[in-house]
Amino acid sequence: MHIPDGFLDPKMSSGLLGAAAAILGYCLAKVMRAVTAVVPQRVLAAVGNSLGNVSMAGRRVLTKVGEEKLLQMGTVASIIFAVQMFNFPVNSGTSGHLVGGVFAAVLLGPFAGAVVLSVVLVVQSLFFADGGLMALGANIINMAVIGSFGSYYIYVGLKIQFNEAICVAIAAWFSVILAAFACAVEIGLSGTIGLRDVFAAMVKVHAVIGIAEAAITVFLIRVFRPGEPS
Amino acid sequence: MKKGLPFSIAVVVLAGAFASQNPDGLEKVAEILGFAGKATNRWAIMFAYRIHFLGTTKFSAILAGICGVGIIYGLFWVCAGVFSRLAGKKSTVA
Repeated sequence: MHIPDGFLDPKMSSGLLGAAAAILGYCLAKVMRAVTAVVPQRVLAAVGNSLGNVSMAGRRVLTKVGEEKLLQMGTVASIIFAVQMFNFPVNSGTSGHLVGGVFAAVLLGPFAGAVVLSVVLVVQSLFFADGGLMALGANIINMAVIGSFGSYYIYVGLKIQFNEAICVAIAAWFSVILAAFACAVEIGLSGTIGLRDVFAAMVKVHAVIGIAEAAITVFLIRVFRPGEPS
Repeated sequence: MKKGLPFSIAVVVLAGAFASQNPDGLEKVAEILGFAGKATNRWAIMFAYRIHFLGTTKFSAILAGICGVGIIYGLFWVCAGVFSRLAGKKSTVA
């Protein structure tokens, strides 16, 4: 579902690039806050050490848990990249691949999940020409932001009623459909092709790909989830 | 999570050997609706998940995939290392 350059109107591409940068910046700030902690530094008064702490200044440092979380993010990103490489056949000469939004968001949370998927998309675009450079914003919005946030909150909402595997499967299916929907809207509004035509075709193909996404995501979360969901 | 990297490498090897070469969902839609030609290709060091000098062999795809896994994991590993160093003596705050 990686949009190449040329499918989107330049205004659409640059607008989405700006939106993706802003959202990603916010997500990165949230992740940085989660992996670091403020360590107070004692500033002793010039009048004498006996006064002890008279003011507290702090600086953010990476915690041990934070370091583990960063490495965990790296592992999840590697898994998503690898599984995305494995295109599986779908009907009538079409293939599909994992998006991975639910996998990342359930394991790491939606903010870290969006960052992880964005890193994968940037590497795919820069090193493998999989997805355009100008279309990178659109791809980040569709797969990383909608894939992580949209589906994560579907997952959270469903968890009240259903068991884990069903929630993951439904959220994963929706992550593909929602990403395909967004992709179709972007292409349609760019004037590349009629919105109604591209919308119908994208949703039809991705409804099937979403079933595989659901199955793969359930499997991956079973294998890689460290413990009980928090 | 420790099995994550070996798992990624294993998947990349399988993908290099067995992944479908059919167009993906968006590519297929673009073909059917006739706007596939609007896509502009550009050069990339591992274009189409292949190492240039190894051609389009399966080995080339596997090696490109392993490079991708290495680049992605390496980015996070370097970030963790740099932040630890910047912090000087690492905090033990959990």
